[in-house]
Amino acid sequence: METKNQTKTTAVKGTLTAGMIRELVRNIYRSAHEAKAQGKKVAYFMVASQYDEIVRAMDIVPIPTENYAGLCAAKRDMERFLLRAEEDGYSQVLCSYARIGLGFDSLRKELGKIPENAPDGGMPEPDMMLGSSAVCDPRFKWYQAAGRYLNVPSYSIDVVAPPVQADLNEVRDYYIRYQTEQFRGLIAFLEEQTGKKLDEDRLWETIKLGDEAWRLWYEIDRLRVAVPCPMPTQDHFSIMVAGHYYCGTQVAVDFYRQLYEEVKSKVEEGQGVIPVEKYRLLYGGGLPPWHTLWIFNYFESFGAVFVIENVYRGYDPVEVPSYVKDPVEYLAWRAFLRFTQRHERARKNSGHPVVERLLQLIDDYKIDGVVFHACRSCRATTVGQIHIKNLLGRYTDIPMMQLVSDMVDLRDYSEAQWKAQIGGFIDALSARSKR
Amino acid sequence: MTATEKLKKIYGERPKRTRELKEEGRKIAGYFCCFVPEEILSAFDLVPFRLQGNPKDPVDQADAFIEPMACPFARSCFNQALKGNYDFLDAFIAPHSCDTIDRLSNIWFHNRPVSFNHLLNVPHMRERGAEEFFRSELNYLVKCLEEWTGKKLVLEKLRETIRLSNKKRALLRNLYELRKKDPPPVSGAEMLEVLVAGMGIPVPEYVNLLTQYVEEVKSREVKSISLRPRLFLWGNAIDDSTFVQLVEHSGTWVVMDDLCTGSRSFWEDVPETSDPMEGLARRYLNVPCPRSNYPRTGHREVDLESRFGYVGAFVSSWKVGGAILYLIRYCDTCELEGPDLKDYLNKKGIPVLMLEDDYSLTTLGQLRTRVQAFVEMITGVV
Repeated sequence: METKNQTKTTAVKGTLTAGMIRELVRNIYRSAHEAKAQGKKVAYFMVASQYDEIVRAMDIVPIPTENYAGLCAAKRDMERFLLRAEEDGYSQVLCSYARIGLGFDSLRKELGKIPENAPDGGMPEPDMMLGSSAVCDPRFKWYQAAGRYLNVPSYSIDVVAPPVQADLNEVRDYYIRYQTEQFRGLIAFLEEQTGKKLDEDRLWETIKLGDEAWRLWYEIDRLRVAVPCPMPTQDHFSIMVAGHYYCGTQVAVDFYRQLYEEVKSKVEEGQGVIPVEKYRLLYGGGLPPWHTLWIFNYFESFGAVFVIENVYRGYDPVEVPSYVKDPVEYLAWRAFLRFTQRHERARKNSGHPVVERLLQLIDDYKIDGVVFHACRSCRATTVGQIHIKNLLGRYTDIPMMQLVSDMVDLRDYSEAQWKAQIGGFIDALSARSKR
Repeated sequence: MTATEKLKKIYGERPKRTRELKEEGRKIAGYFCCFVPEEILSAFDLVPFRLQGNPKDPVDQADAFIEPMACPFARSCFNQALKGNYDFLDAFIAPHSCDTIDRLSNIWFHNRPVSFNHLLNVPHMRERGAEEFFRSELNYLVKCLEEWTGKKLVLEKLRETIRLSNKKRALLRNLYELRKKDPPPVSGAEMLEVLVAGMGIPVPEYVNLLTQYVEEVKSREVKSISLRPRLFLWGNAIDDSTFVQLVEHSGTWVVMDDLCTGSRSFWEDVPETSDPMEGLARRYLNVPCPRSNYPRTGHREVDLESRFGYVGAFVSSWKVGGAILYLIRYCDTCELEGPDLKDYLNKKGIPVLMLEDDYSLTTLGQLRTRVQAFVEMITGVV
């Protein structure tokens, strides 16, 4: 594969508010360093584990290790960490987020300090590691492996979702019961580590903040149905930081309020991302190419804008029954409802909840084409894309394309190949629009 | 024909025997990995068929359905299905053992559906309600099978199938015990073939064959004391004996393993609990696959002992002089586990060769070179 040095990795954003995210990212690692200095507890953690609000309610400062890998890629400072992990015996096809994290921990252990000039000051040594089985397998195995470099306690929880074929009335009770017990296990662990009991009122508070942030985020995405597109996908890849890395805090709520106002005003003024919007694209799935986000601007040079995406905001707001009065049970219910919200529809139609979501997006957002990103080292978000594409093809004839690289490992990326593929895709969009 | 010959034939012609059973009117239930209790399938009079790939047959059709960065073993299995080589299946049960099998199950259900299609959720954790959850999942599987077959599960029959599967396990452990001899009366390659032969025939038939086979092995004349290094093999799905033959043809004996087609699949019995589902849930949840999580118990040495103590016991009891970790590429959980196991074994003085392969025979030349170099290296230390 061709590798080429690019000095520019980021994309030009469509909104001003998205520009604020850079400071929020810096603040993640700065806060963690400050917390360490003040003797507060900091934890490696995995986003979208459904436990965000618990961690916040326990006043633990989270260090999202996956995000750090993405940051390293955006800064094109990933090679030293990737190579270090591979030198330590980890495969070159292992999740590259995990490789960067393990490589970073390995170097920090060897040096006895943060590796020199690490992006955003690097990750401090955590007091604990909180894994989960949500999204993918490496998210609990990674922290188990990190025990090579860190002599700190770790705790992982299961996050379970029933398959689409399951009769929800049959499985609901035991899924929610197990999820609740898993959360309670985590709480017991955190109480032991911090020496303080969980305050349930405080947990309700963080849950309300988490729900409000995700509601606002949903509303912002609903505004994005407008033509021309007021906020492109490259902005989404920035603004998801608030929903995932600040979930359960006022920061996320304030950020989305401000973004909502900006997007709303763009819609009212009919202000789009580019002057002439010829093609409206859907980012169908896969982690972003953090090393090459400018590619979205490259699409725009052909009049193609990514108007919506199927990643990071994986579920719409759900309504937990009002008889659920316990905040931990609430979280378990919420997780169950989030994961199953398209099951019934899928059973009646395509048989696949993601396909249902994409069909809805294609319809609502007047989509002309779909692009997927397959990552060489990510099984969870990549395996199944071809299948989804095949199923979608039974319901729509819009052009679809799968680009292949990796979320952070540049060695799996070929600019020439991508540009050739994009050229062909644009031709297909153009041909279809002339029909 | 001796049992040795019969088992060799079943392995070599597989899945011919399963097809014969189908023609005889039996219903066949295909499943992946070590997490679907064969006892439940047997109790419904289904023939449990552990799905296998074919490393001798290149993946030539699956690319249109599943990405190349998915587990090559899983891709090979699905390729076999696409070619019609699994058209004898009546039921397909996929456990949520890992990301790839989970994703593949959906692809399979859509593109090669059979009469009964089911995904069994398997917790990754082992504590805080995991066993109870898995028991509920098994009960739900039973309910779905009852609806499909039109038959209620008879608990006494389930107890009987548990006893029979435990008998099978005891016979296999007995065979593994015999491999403690030097030289072992059964090679690693032969053992694997015997195991795989049993993965597509009814348990009673296999138990009968094994009973006879154990006696045949006991009566084998073990020749002079061997000078070959005794190896331990770790990994996931090795269901073709070619690689093990390669290792043994390099001047070794593979005497013990922790493979999901090997000891991992049968080592522990199902406890005979008053509610059989309780024993099944406990036993299957605790299969030591890297896809499951062991909670960290202390500092690194304690943690490694907690996770790999059983491997330590294997290598010591079977007097192992070297280990090969055979990782199928794109298996994230094995790739994260491998370096830790290597550290653990190295600390016990066991040299380790960690290989990553793509479940095909095209890499045999490279593998042979690496295995031979490893054997030369350990020959000096054992």
